[in-house]
Amino acid sequence: MKFNNETRKVTIKAFRFNAETDYLPYIKQYELEVGKDDLVLDLMNRIKWEHDGSFSYRRSCRHGICGACGIKVNGKPVLACKQNAIELLDMFDNDITLEPQSKKRVIKDMIIDKKDFWEKHAKVKPYVVANVESHPTKETKQSIEAFDALLNSDLCIQCGNCHYACPSLEANPDFLGPAALNAAYRFSIDTRDNASEERLKLTSKPNIGVWDCVKCFECAQACPKDINPIEKITKLHNMQFEYGIAERNIATKHAEGFVRSMKKHGFLDEADIVVYSEGYLGMYKHLKTAYKMMKAGKIHFTDGLPFVDNVPKSKNLSEIQKLIKISQTNKL
Amino acid sequence: MSNNTNVRIYEYDAVIVGAGLAGLAAAKELTEAGKRTAVITKLHPLRSHSGAAQGGINAALGAEDSTELHEFDTVKGSDYLADQDAVELMCTKAPETIRWAEHMGAAFSRDAEGNIAIRPFGGQSKPRACYAKDRTGLAVLQAIYEQAFRAGIEVFDEWYVADLLYKNDKVYGVSAYNIRNSEPAIFNAKVVMFATGGHARAFRFNSNAHANTGDSLSIVARHGLPLEDMEFVQFHPSGLGGSGVLISEAARGEGGRLFNALGERFMTKYAPNAMELASRDVVSRAIMQEVREGRGVGKDKQSVNIDLTHLDPQIILTRLPELRELAIAFQGQDMLKEPIHISATAHYSMGGIPTTINCEVRKNPIQTVEGFYAAGECSCVSVHGANRLGANSVLEALLFGRHAGENMVKKLNEGIKLKKATKEDANQMLEEIRRIKTSNGNERVSALRAELQAGMTEKAGVFRTKISLEEQLSHINALLQRFKNIRIDDKSNTFNTDLQEAIELGHMLEFSKFIVYGALIREESRGAHFREDFPKRNDEKFLKHTYAYMDNEFNITHEWGDVVITKFEPKERSY
Ligand SMILES: Cc1cc2nc3c(=O)[nH]c(=O)nc-3n(C[C@H](O)[C@H](O)[C@H](O)COP(=O)(O)OP(=O)(O)OC[C@H]3O[C@@H](n4cnc5c(N)ncnc54)[C@H](O)[C@@H]3O)c2cc1C
Ligand code: SF4
Ligand code: SF4
Ligand code: FES
Repeated sequence: MKFNNETRKVTIKAFRFNAETDYLPYIKQYELEVGKDDLVLDLMNRIKWEHDGSFSYRRSCRHGICGACGIKVNGKPVLACKQNAIELLDMFDNDITLEPQSKKRVIKDMIIDKKDFWEKHAKVKPYVVANVESHPTKETKQSIEAFDALLNSDLCIQCGNCHYACPSLEANPDFLGPAALNAAYRFSIDTRDNASEERLKLTSKPNIGVWDCVKCFECAQACPKDINPIEKITKLHNMQFEYGIAERNIATKHAEGFVRSMKKHGFLDEADIVVYSEGYLGMYKHLKTAYKMMKAGKIHFTDGLPFVDNVPKSKNLSEIQKLIKISQTNKL
Repeated sequence: MSNNTNVRIYEYDAVIVGAGLAGLAAAKELTEAGKRTAVITKLHPLRSHSGAAQGGINAALGAEDSTELHEFDTVKGSDYLADQDAVELMCTKAPETIRWAEHMGAAFSRDAEGNIAIRPFGGQSKPRACYAKDRTGLAVLQAIYEQAFRAGIEVFDEWYVADLLYKNDKVYGVSAYNIRNSEPAIFNAKVVMFATGGHARAFRFNSNAHANTGDSLSIVARHGLPLEDMEFVQFHPSGLGGSGVLISEAARGEGGRLFNALGERFMTKYAPNAMELASRDVVSRAIMQEVREGRGVGKDKQSVNIDLTHLDPQIILTRLPELRELAIAFQGQDMLKEPIHISATAHYSMGGIPTTINCEVRKNPIQTVEGFYAAGECSCVSVHGANRLGANSVLEALLFGRHAGENMVKKLNEGIKLKKATKEDANQMLEEIRRIKTSNGNERVSALRAELQAGMTEKAGVFRTKISLEEQLSHINALLQRFKNIRIDDKSNTFNTDLQEAIELGHMLEFSKFIVYGALIREESRGAHFREDFPKRNDEKFLKHTYAYMDNEFNITHEWGDVVITKFEPKERSY
């Protein structure tokens, strides 16, 4: 690896807040020596153990497998026990701030109330629906292909990184979000399960289900286990069509709009899809999301205007192809 | 919080502490049997360390394998200290238990016929470890949690259990506080189970979760109840050099080879037949011996190399993807391209709260405590004896967890009565919290902990002597005194993890004393316990379980308990 051997002296900033005692959150700075193998969790431990014992965060396994330690660094979702610190320092010019996954849900420092995450998770029947024999003498057979079809959706560690990075969810609290939808896929595709239809119906509902995903790929980038929830969301779309569950509604029109957009620009024109599926009036309903996405650089403010064809074509085409590739290949 | 007027009392049929494989399996049984059950856990259930198990879970499913072979390998692996009736129960029920997990939805890897895939593991005469890539624990933990959730278990997560309610030979609940807001409560129950997992955090190099602080051990010991075989701590051969983070035995199971700095495949010297797949204690000692003799690699020459580069990259990519990621994340080494630095890491606790084969906690070698059960890594039903075989402990946790649940249902059906708790029962916990919060000394919890851990690894680790152990014992005594003089920064009631780490350190200091004490009185070498001054096993004197007890001044005494030997007479053990 490319790291040099010395340690680096840096000032790390941390978001601090205690719902019990603080009126407003504040940022505190800590001088730390960072070594080449240090992980973000090592930095947090050092802040707690050497500087201020009241600094609080969740952690347990330190093997990147329990999902407790998801936080954000300069807005970027990371799993603290898996994320190399120097890598981040390089990325952000030695200026990093440790933040909770969602500031509006913070209870104390890095610790947030994940109630909404677990509630969404619970909604999709997150278990194999089957009669569990109590003393089975045989296992259920499952082919290697059927196992592979899980596409690692079973590796989700419920860290919430994708959930708290999803702009659709931020704008629409009813949306199930990428983690719950990944779980819906995980159980629906399992050959032992008998509730796929129910889950597909739930996840096809407007406002709640897959159709409210705006395909921004934030979740794919946020996931420390490379699970690629958007790929599973796309699979759920397809399964809904296969099962004849997808009705002709705003949402399916959205899908058609997606294809239309791709054909027209070789590009996903977010605004065009909304216009196509909901009409110009419909666009006003989405202004809040649109504003957020504009801030994130996902759409441009002239996007919705009928005569302004501002969608870049050739320049971003290669990137799109890359994204499509990401969403299609089964990463390790 | 030192005032008990705001203590809430909850009443249940059963209370289970811990929501790893053992706790959840019991909770599922109890809930499905219609018993009012509360599961209390300091972590969300899915964050339990069971999820970190990587390599596999044993059951004699293979065509050439048999239950009897599984039993023999387990007993031999245990260096004949395991209780053979418990081993027989475990190995006989292993196949149905794995299949039960599979029926619940565990995403096991499959072979070409669609059966659960199996791989070889150390110390086993046949391939026997069923696996889900290299995330077996996660697959099984998720499945049992999912089905327990489906059954409607009631979970109090992010609650810390601080004390046991125990009077007149009967357990009737626990006291605990909500980590989120420090709200204290009593969980009063007819039957109580501890399933709190491992305690290898007491060592500097360890593979364990931060949560594995062995709280329940000293909670039990503070009431004068015994701990069994605490000297037996397993050192796993392949911890990542710097951090101790685990590279599963699956890496050797799939064909990984060990080399020293001279490029010698040194296992030829130590275990010429089994080579890298000898039992864990054997391989760990071999590695540390190479390091001691100056043939180590990496930082301070404290590691050796494990090489997987000769393997088909597809094997690594499809069967060991997590391991590869860990080595990249923790030390920037890609096992596809280069050898990985590994070293022995404290990994698993064979000893713990003594139980009968039906998971009832023992008061001494012959009597049990009414209403009290334990299973999983915190317990010692003794299926692992002096050394656990890889892939036997997730099996133990799931199987005996369920078995405990079944026995608790039976006990409840027999009509065991509730002994009513009072608010005063919370006093010990409230006093402990008050003491820590108001203590205004000059010792830091993190510093004391680091000293404890360094000493345990150095003086009570892979190699032990009378001198090293005596030094560590007096070091712990000094640390126990200094612990009275701590000061924590956080005085708030919200997610006070500063307070929690202090309470946990108190537990670590106390149970570590049992480890060192046991190692000192056991003047022999057996399984994971290696005394350089007594390098041979001594069946005549020490084919016995250690039962150790602690008084209020942390003084420890012991007596010996019998080992159950049925089919397999002790023999010399070689690989
Ligand atoms: C890295 C690693 C890899 C492993 N790989 C394998 C493998 O491949 N095969 C194998 O057989 N074994 C393996 N093991 C061992 C195995 O995972 C454990 O022995 C087993 O999972 C323990 O399960 P458990 O249910 O007893 O405890 P855990 O799963 O550790 O659960 C303990 C529970 O107790 C709770 N708890 C603890 N203290 C308190 C308290 N004071 N108050 C409230 N709650 C509390 C915790 O919150 C948690 O829910 C591995 C272990 C490690 C560390
Ligand atoms: S791709 Fe969809 S689910 Fe993923 S973050 Fe974007 S909107 Fe959310
Ligand atoms: S899908 Fe990935 S990011 Fe989302 S909760 Fe699961 S592991 Fe975390
Ligand atoms: S501490 Fe478990 S995932 Fe980071």
